[in-house]
Amino acid sequence: MDSQIQADQMTVSMARLLKDGERVFHGVSSPLPMIAILLAKKLHAPNLVYLNIAGGVNPSPERVPSSTLDPVLAQGSPSIFSLIEIFDLSARGELDTVFLGGVQVDRYGRINLSAIGKDYWRPKVRLPGGAGSAALMPTAKRTILWRTKHTPKTFIEKLDFVTAAGRVDRIVTPLCVFALREGEILVESIHPYIKPEEVIENTGFPVQVDANTPITPPPTPEELKALHALDPSNIRLIEFK
Amino acid sequence: MGQKLMSLKEAAALVQDGSLVALGGTLMHRSPLAFARELARQGKRDLQLVKAGGAYDIDLLCAAGCVAAVHAGFVGFEAEFGLAPNYRRMVEEGRVKACENACYTVIAGLRAAAYGLPFQPIAGIFGSDLLEAREFKTVKDPYTGAEVVAIPKLKPDWAMLHVQEADRSGNARIFGAPFEDVLMSRAAKGVILTAERIVETETFQAQPELTAIPDFLVVAVVEAKGGAWPGSCYPYYKIDSRAVREYLDQSSDPRKLREYLSKVDR
Repeated sequence: MDSQIQADQMTVSMARLLKDGERVFHGVSSPLPMIAILLAKKLHAPNLVYLNIAGGVNPSPERVPSSTLDPVLAQGSPSIFSLIEIFDLSARGELDTVFLGGVQVDRYGRINLSAIGKDYWRPKVRLPGGAGSAALMPTAKRTILWRTKHTPKTFIEKLDFVTAAGRVDRIVTPLCVFALREGEILVESIHPYIKPEEVIENTGFPVQVDANTPITPPPTPEELKALHALDPSNIRLIEFK
Repeated sequence: MGQKLMSLKEAAALVQDGSLVALGGTLMHRSPLAFARELARQGKRDLQLVKAGGAYDIDLLCAAGCVAAVHAGFVGFEAEFGLAPNYRRMVEEGRVKACENACYTVIAGLRAAAYGLPFQPIAGIFGSDLLEAREFKTVKDPYTGAEVVAIPKLKPDWAMLHVQEADRSGNARIFGAPFEDVLMSRAAKGVILTAERIVETETFQAQPELTAIPDFLVVAVVEAKGGAWPGSCYPYYKIDSRAVREYLDQSSDPRKLREYLSKVDR
């Protein structure tokens, strides 16, 4: 599958989940959320409050950077709101939406970003760590997860380690959009270029998908035009390499 | 008061083996990377590093065998560069202890130190295996009886910060995001600054409200233009991707790493 089509579908799907006026944060290593937030602000959510680790509050960066805490993400920002303050904002229940990723994701929307292997202290693979996720997932009003690899090893029955758990609302992948409703994961829609069995085969826990499962609306010409204007150098493809 | 303005070598010599060192900046942005290289050249041992999110600094010091433990929420380069290879290898081999945190628990530990408290209650963290793995305890709210996670204080011996402007007595200005630097300066027993520029104290006196770190907290000041290279230092320079790549290519081989360290700051 063409990663450009996947990247565009995922970015647009993530942007559509954002509402006008809400306060939204993404962290480190988050090109897709960064672009999705800027896209939503351009299209349907002009009053969304965009916060990031560079300290930007509704910045107008001249380019989208590959490092998602690059100082350019504070360019044009009228104030600096630091990461410490963003955590505090979430802790007091005033952050609406946070984008987080997981190397492994389970059916409860819990994530592992810590270690692969049976022994946490002598892991097979030491991962970077969950950054702010363990603090943000239980305190932000909702979490949107995204993962650019959807395989039975990434969407897995049992996590090797639970780095963070909390209020996950949606999970966006190259194959589908999951929703979490009352603690249970369900396939909300599958992307237009995907067959139902591909979702079943690539998910490590049982999911219900059939011919009646809704299709995610593909990006509209207007969305694609805005996306290309925002990210002409295709920073969003970094996540698919 | 002695002379605070000194060379990178002299400042790094202040750091004893086994120290708990907080590193300013975040990942590849305004991080004290020249200072990290000098610690590596001086062959420090058993350092414990504290940083919410680190990359080159933590990875390099792990590669050079300087580190016993890392207290961090995230250690890695970002998307295009991937994991921190030496941190990863040293943890997997059991030679460095990953004292994994959420970034906010690093902040809470530093806050406890800055506030003069043994621990800091914190929102969140419930549901994470970190509670058990790190033996983070809970306390009861004495007013409502609710359980709250209590993060033990993290009191660094040194806060090692790279700033844009300092004067020779240690007043410092930070442009752009402060990250955890200001908190670290209050939490640590002493602050070592590297600065892109040394400016006159009069500049600070003209607008004292712009000073992020007051001189009485600072032990040493080093003029270090490019001190965050190959990372960025707003507004002076961006990430040098080629140089990051070069580091990643050379750092995992001890001989190449020695060569790298001997030529890179010349």
